Amino acid sequence: MRKYIYIFKSEFMSSLQYVSNVFINYIGYFIMMFMFWNLWKYMYQDEANLINGYTMNQMVWYVAMTEILWYGLGGRKLCRRITDDVRSGNITYNLNKPYSYVSYIIFSHLGEILIRTILYTVLSLTLFNSILGEFPIGNIYEALGVFITAFLAIVISILIITSIGLISFFMEDASPIYWIYSKIILVLGTLFPVEFFPMFLQKVFKFVPAYVVSYGPAKLFVDFSIDKFVEIIIVQLCYLLVSLLVANLIYKKGVKKLNVNGG
Amino acid sequence: MLTAAKRQFKISMLSTKYALMRAMVNKATFVMSIVFMILNNATFIIQYLILFSLKEDVGGYTFNQVLMLWALASGTFGVAHFFFKKAFNLSETITNGKLDAYIVQPKNILLQALTSDIDSSAIGDMLYGFILIFVSGITIKKFIFFTIFLILGGFIHVAFAVILASFSFWISRSDIIADTFNSMITHINTYPEGIFGGITRVVLYTLIPVGFISYVPVQVLTSFNIMSFIYVLLFTAFIIGLAFFMFYKGLKKYSSSNLMISKI
Amino acid sequence: MSIIKAQNLNKSFKVKIKEKGILGSLKSIVRPKYEVIKAVDNISFEVNEGEMIAFIGPNGAGKSTTIKMLTCILYPDSGEISVLGMDPTKDRKKLAYEIGTVFGQKEQLWMHLTPYDNLKFFGAIYDIEDKEIEKRIEHLKEVFELEKFINIPVRNLSLGQRIRCEIAASLIHEPKVLFLDEPTIGLDPVVKDSVRKLIKKMNKEFGTTVFFTSHDVSDIEKLCKRVIIINNGKIVLDDSMANLKYNYLNKKIVEVKLKEKIDFENVKGIEVIKSNNNNLKLEIDTRTTTLADVLKLIDDENIIDINISNTPLEDIISSIYKEGAK
Repeated sequence: MRKYIYIFKSEFMSSLQYVSNVFINYIGYFIMMFMFWNLWKYMYQDEANLINGYTMNQMVWYVAMTEILWYGLGGRKLCRRITDDVRSGNITYNLNKPYSYVSYIIFSHLGEILIRTILYTVLSLTLFNSILGEFPIGNIYEALGVFITAFLAIVISILIITSIGLISFFMEDASPIYWIYSKIILVLGTLFPVEFFPMFLQKVFKFVPAYVVSYGPAKLFVDFSIDKFVEIIIVQLCYLLVSLLVANLIYKKGVKKLNVNGG
Repeated sequence: MLTAAKRQFKISMLSTKYALMRAMVNKATFVMSIVFMILNNATFIIQYLILFSLKEDVGGYTFNQVLMLWALASGTFGVAHFFFKKAFNLSETITNGKLDAYIVQPKNILLQALTSDIDSSAIGDMLYGFILIFVSGITIKKFIFFTIFLILGGFIHVAFAVILASFSFWISRSDIIADTFNSMITHINTYPEGIFGGITRVVLYTLIPVGFISYVPVQVLTSFNIMSFIYVLLFTAFIIGLAFFMFYKGLKKYSSSNLMISKI
Repeated sequence: MSIIKAQNLNKSFKVKIKEKGILGSLKSIVRPKYEVIKAVDNISFEVNEGEMIAFIGPNGAGKSTTIKMLTCILYPDSGEISVLGMDPTKDRKKLAYEIGTVFGQKEQLWMHLTPYDNLKFFGAIYDIEDKEIEKRIEHLKEVFELEKFINIPVRNLSLGQRIRCEIAASLIHEPKVLFLDEPTIGLDPVVKDSVRKLIKKMNKEFGTTVFFTSHDVSDIEKLCKRVIIINNGKIVLDDSMANLKYNYLNKKIVEVKLKEKIDFENVKGIEVIKSNNNNLKLEIDTRTTTLADVLKLIDDENIIDINISNTPLEDIISSIYKEGAK
């Protein structure tokens, strides 16, 4: 475990060098959010104060939260990094090192995104609190609950994207699969909460990863309830276990294929 | 002058052809990236189905107009990224000193650099644009103007990217700024004009010229208006001129790879 | 007739310096510190038509900066350049038709295309008629011995074959001057040698003026009649190869293994560099004494082994560098 913490730490240290980039990227995030704020202002214009159980402020907070998870994660870069690792054959250097590649990716990526996610969260909470004038979280326990589910959401995302990236062992370019995955997350959880879909779809969408990697933490953030928290945590733990197994399995299969082909 | 332009065009097309050949070395990957890009773009329909289930219009647009908006957004993006992919990593090309190869050629440096690579998945974006415009209902006139708007909008995208990238001649690491603004223009492009307030709209017709890439064209395609068309034409000419001006102004500051070397 | 003329060229670069640590990087955002590096410091030189000239110096001396200013890539801060009577900063396009460039570290070729297609492409860039391109490709194929791999994609070629194609491609428009920036960098000795031969052949065959940079001393020894040595942005020597040899190759090194030791201290024109029991290394100044005189001092039967050599060119240049540094 010590070596993974060390990997995490050194990746975190080197990410500090690029702190200025985070601020520039945040401008992009903010303009994006500005757009959604405008969109929802328009949508709520002549509607009663509630759409599908959400107030306008809740809607904006919801999207702010899911977009932090999305931007903070840096999924595209992660996917490309793994694809490059596989294609260049760099991944084979990990074979004779005494650590698991999947765990290595989790810790190094967590280290890389830590400062960015913290800054995004702090900036967004301050900014939107002053714009919307209404902070949805009531007490420290709720905050802790949101934090735990958000953290699990990030780890699960990393594992899923790692699995997608590792598919490039078997096909030349895995990025099209990533595009589709990212659009599913975007449409089925980031832009809207599940409640916006027709009833019969809502049940199905509970099984889509978007439910745990973006809907879960954001829903708890805007409307915390202990029942929801327990439900989300249980589903997240299932996802964590399965995605961990899948990622490792693909890695093992892929490496074996590489060995057979002689790299 | 005319023969020079003709020769330049011939060379640019040849570059594009060669780059396309390179992309097609692996046929399966090539086709897949196009098909997946179309699927990828198609997910937006879900988003708008939901928005339209909440309200009869989104930002004053009917569903049909949203289709046109998306056709333009994705089509112009496709044109820009297919023919001029390099515009979107021109910043890196400049800071890494990779313009050298184009400078020593007896052709237009900027055009040579821009046309030296293609993005094959952008073919999917272009196709998607045409699919949507057909779905939204098509006449010959609409088809012709749509195609013209795709080219003009593609040029605006590229010119915007070149202006952003030109800052790299003066400011190091401005590639992040360029990336941020390039992806922003793409995002805003897919949302109706009507959701924005007055000041924002001014910005969308000046600093971030989404208005001329898609808002005005949507108007023209909905109900034809020659003046609006001319505005788009004029703006395109203006921003292209500005892009060339900025690039050549910056080129005098070009430091090739020397900054890289002295950093070590 | 001088074909390249540079007068009082200057070029400096501003480089951002960053202090270490998080505080340092935050500081550099708020108030960046710059250091001005003078890459080229007031240099002037001329090159004549048909000449083959080497521009040599250690890494970071200003060679590449100079060649980039001559080929329109960089704008000089001050000074004047004239290549074929044209000013690179003003007549870039016109000049580009007349010069060829090869940058050893950068590929100009399309990797997935064959050398043949590449040559066609570059021919088109220079607006050459198709028929004429074919004719020139035929000729280049012969001179550069491209026959065997002209239809194999460049990325599948060896480094040596690739550099041959690079040079061939830079000649498709029959330039009057060819600039080569470190053409032999990263090549193994055999390939290096064949590239040198090619450059020589080209100079003869096409009458091309050749201007090239290198930090490899053996390049100039084999190729050039004239050498310009540059260090820290300044020209430290601009001379013919013969003069260079006469002025700096006036010393001979004699290494000798003896049965009985002889004392050479205080003999005029001989300096003992190393003395290890009966093994001696002597430097002989041929302007004050001849080799024959020195050998007379040693009894034939006393010699176990003897070796006489020139001072290595590398040492000469480093001694010029040292003088330049003073």
